[in-house]
Amino acid sequence: MNVEHVLTTCPYCGTGCNFYLQVVDGRLVGVVPCKTDEISLGKLCIKGYNAHAFVQHPDRLIHPMVRQGGDMRRVSWEEALDKLASEIKRIRDKYGPDSIAVLASAKCTNEENYLFQKLARAVIGTNNVDHCARLCHASTVAGLLYSFGSGAMTNTIPEFDNADCILVTGSNTLEAHPIIGSRMLRALEKGAKIITVDPRDTPLSRLAAIKLNQKSGSDIAWINGMIKVIIDEGLVDGEFVETRTTDFAKLKEAVSGYHLDKVESITGIPKDRLAEAARVFAKSKRAMVAYAMGITQHSNGTDIVKALANLSMVTGHLGKESNGLNPLRGQCNVQGSCDAGGLPNLYPGYQRVDDEQTRAKFEQAWGQRLPPKPGLTLTCAVKDALVGKLKAMIIFGENIMLSDPDITHVEQALKELELVAVVDIFPTETSSFAHIILPAACYAEKDGTFTNTDRSVRLLRKALAPPGEAWPDWKIACELAKRLGANGFDFASPAQVMDEMAKVTPIYGGIDHSRLDSEHLRWPCPTKDHKGTSILHTQKFTKGLGTFAPVHHKPPAEEPSEEYPFILTTGRNLFQYHTGTMTRRSPKLEREAPEPYVEINTGDAKRLGIVDGERVMVSSRRGAISLKAAVTDRIIPGSIFIPFHYAEAPANRLTNAALDPVSNIPELKVCAAKVQKA
Amino acid sequence: MTEFEPTILAFCCNWCSYAGADLAGVSRLQMPPNVHIVRVMCSASVKPEYAIKAISQGIDGVLVLGCHIGDCHYMTGNHRTAKRFPVVQKLLEDVGIDKTRLRLDWVSAAEGEKFQKVVTEFVEDVKRLGPNPLKEVRF
Amino acid sequence: MLPELAFDKLGADLLLAMCEGHGNVGPIVISKGEKMAKVRTDVPYQLVTILTNIYPFIGQKKLALLCRRCDEKALAELEKRGLVDEKRVLRIGLACSADQIKACRCSDPVPSVVHIGAPGKPAGEDELMNKLLAMPSEERLKFWTAQFRKCNKCFACTLNCPVCFCDDCVLEERTFVAEKGIPPGMSFHLIRTFHLSDKCVECGECERSCPAGIPLLTLRKMAAKDMKALYGFVSGDKKKVSPLLTTLEGEPMEDECHEC
Repeated sequence: MNVEHVLTTCPYCGTGCNFYLQVVDGRLVGVVPCKTDEISLGKLCIKGYNAHAFVQHPDRLIHPMVRQGGDMRRVSWEEALDKLASEIKRIRDKYGPDSIAVLASAKCTNEENYLFQKLARAVIGTNNVDHCARLCHASTVAGLLYSFGSGAMTNTIPEFDNADCILVTGSNTLEAHPIIGSRMLRALEKGAKIITVDPRDTPLSRLAAIKLNQKSGSDIAWINGMIKVIIDEGLVDGEFVETRTTDFAKLKEAVSGYHLDKVESITGIPKDRLAEAARVFAKSKRAMVAYAMGITQHSNGTDIVKALANLSMVTGHLGKESNGLNPLRGQCNVQGSCDAGGLPNLYPGYQRVDDEQTRAKFEQAWGQRLPPKPGLTLTCAVKDALVGKLKAMIIFGENIMLSDPDITHVEQALKELELVAVVDIFPTETSSFAHIILPAACYAEKDGTFTNTDRSVRLLRKALAPPGEAWPDWKIACELAKRLGANGFDFASPAQVMDEMAKVTPIYGGIDHSRLDSEHLRWPCPTKDHKGTSILHTQKFTKGLGTFAPVHHKPPAEEPSEEYPFILTTGRNLFQYHTGTMTRRSPKLEREAPEPYVEINTGDAKRLGIVDGERVMVSSRRGAISLKAAVTDRIIPGSIFIPFHYAEAPANRLTNAALDPVSNIPELKVCAAKVQKA
Repeated sequence: MTEFEPTILAFCCNWCSYAGADLAGVSRLQMPPNVHIVRVMCSASVKPEYAIKAISQGIDGVLVLGCHIGDCHYMTGNHRTAKRFPVVQKLLEDVGIDKTRLRLDWVSAAEGEKFQKVVTEFVEDVKRLGPNPLKEVRF
Repeated sequence: MLPELAFDKLGADLLLAMCEGHGNVGPIVISKGEKMAKVRTDVPYQLVTILTNIYPFIGQKKLALLCRRCDEKALAELEKRGLVDEKRVLRIGLACSADQIKACRCSDPVPSVVHIGAPGKPAGEDELMNKLLAMPSEERLKFWTAQFRKCNKCFACTLNCPVCFCDDCVLEERTFVAEKGIPPGMSFHLIRTFHLSDKCVECGECERSCPAGIPLLTLRKMAAKDMKALYGFVSGDKKKVSPLLTTLEGEPMEDECHEC
């Protein structure tokens, strides 16, 4: 008998904890935390402890399948890949390469995402490559690129321990990033002040020193309000502003109108509490901001992110230990899939596709002419599919039928497409529209790397063989590329793919699998002897000087009306993960949160005559769903909350695909809804 | 000022204490209205989890009544109860909850008066302790 | 050296220890003849727990493991309940360092046979426990509710505990832990402490693996003190039946179910 403890990285959130998968004779029997792991310190959350539970589930896709007539028929890999390649060629010849979109995956490895975008650009000939980062931190990438020149978390996860003030906004950290939340608890034990700004009462906000509830979408108002207090009360870090930034005068003018009475009327935050929070934040020596979807998922998300960047710059809380601006990336490899170029306007390493010199470099590296125009974002690709401008989608590891906004239209879009190819580990709501389904290996069944939210490049180590005929995505991408006549896809291992990626991606320049096997490296890591970078922007910003952005409050695209009086906000809970393909097949997780629910304020429920547990109908202009009411004080009056994990009551049937003009992120956090007894 | 009226949960075993409660009722003995009786087959079937859950959710007092030692219908059931509940009481005390909110006693089928006495006394004791502090705690 | 001790001297087929590897320290299981990286006793894993995960698969093989005094006691509790065959689990006595003893506030740090390490002296009492016992009950309650408020229901305490053996854990049942979501309220922790009252060996793994930093070991020590005061009972002795499974006269009860 063979017992192995394989050290690998968690497939769930962007914290990227490492743990040991226990494998006995090819069977996964459990998870053991890794006590020396710098990120997790030997702790895990409930999803981490159950990360083995879905891997050998009987629902796993194990054979390639092709649609014939109305049914999916099992075929060989030869036949499936040949069919896929010939369809791609046919559609490309008939409609042009830009009629095809490739969806990369935040759950696939860096190596795989690198190959997906190379496949799209160098082989198919389009920059239409994007992935679910469009739905979560696209505003961060765009916003911080403007303000700092780099869109990543500026500090490291361990630094939260030593902050004396942590401003947490739009992040339910203890549920969405539990181990990062646990770092905040460590800071709390040491006397740190936590300030939370969220329309909901969260497990973290209950422990906060200053807990503020704001109306969803009013964030620029309170941030500008804080900045005004900081300027008025002389709490600006003058030295930092003078030597490290530009355009302060524009900021000062922009915030001058945000006096606290006005801010209170827009946001609902009592003015003296906001002022107190501003003072505590500004005066602290080590202050970190942590934020997530509550800030980014708005039709002006890019501007909201810039506002937070303004707040960090004006107080000088950047570029130093336990001082910084920290977007918490949601998925295990959403940071990496962005780093690896799974974006329509950026090559690997955030180099622009429309920059001639950069393009020339990649053309040389890949031996192929490359398309010059930025491609379609995911949200625009869906809209184009709806009107027949896009003809094909090759979807690696994403379930857009549940995760995208306004899924009624997503469904129509998928039906319009001439080719939908889905590569996944389980059948999903999206794969039910596929013409070709290819079975993939999951995280435990392949080598590769994930990059977590603090830029640590973490190794996956293959613990067991994939089931049936499933292949790792890197192999699928290479075989497909070869059938499309490409060179440059002969890789014997993911390590070789990383070697190629490192050559063209300066921030990953010094990264290779043998280094990663024993070293903890964070990018930028430009050379083989570089030890990696913990804190960003220590001497200067990635773009030199940081830029203040004069941004203003803008109401959400869809506000409550008489017919739809509630603000619907969506989000996550601790036990489930995204569209539930993995967690709902993990018994101990499913047991904890088996049913969809809508959180409704106690006062609002009473008014409508709704009791806890009663079935209700929640509807918006786009659709309606039926689910149970969870009557609670944890959400402010006038707002309701629905987690998006449940296919039987998909929150995204109701959400609004109103897009931020710069980043194209949809306003998943605000739309108007009504609640009725069912 | 309204006087505090505690909510009491009483687990009574079918063969002895429940019959004793019945007898108290039939004999028209005066009983405080705060007590909610749950009939179980044996005091041993009252898993400590039930008492712990009741107190965590804010019930002011939990009473477990079984047969006298030696009289258990299932021989050693009440021995099990007698060994367990002192541990639960100590644990409540360890976390700061008054252990007298949990009481274990023996009442036979013929002891209608004892039932009345135990229940009345317990309600008075819990009244003096005041409301369960966990009612106010918002986790 | 460790492999020789395990395979040649003790006659084991398998050895479970914690070793360096991939820039970290983690558990490994090797067979006779396999190479082993450097053993790191300064990063103690709860090897008895890891053993229980793989025990169903080892058939008749003999497994040797590094065994601290608390691990010995945990094995005794498992053996008592027929969950582990003492003849097939061979102990390599590991004496904890002074720092480890202090971190655990350990009063019983020396295994019956010491193969590795130097026997250390017991640590002083758990200061936090003494502080809590001296507090008035309202303050104590405030302390514990503030601690439990941080609980994220990760189940680390349960999963990493060597004597937590139930396949169907009562803490996963809605009946007893009624709170939806997190934190799970007081019942979770009280039920757990009660269930462990006659089994806990104070290895401290629960406290070490809790992401919220709740002082779970202190709570266990308080419960252990209670068991000693009430029944003169201390866990970890194979010959002592749990007082929760004996009559008032100390006779074992006729019983199939060991759940208590």
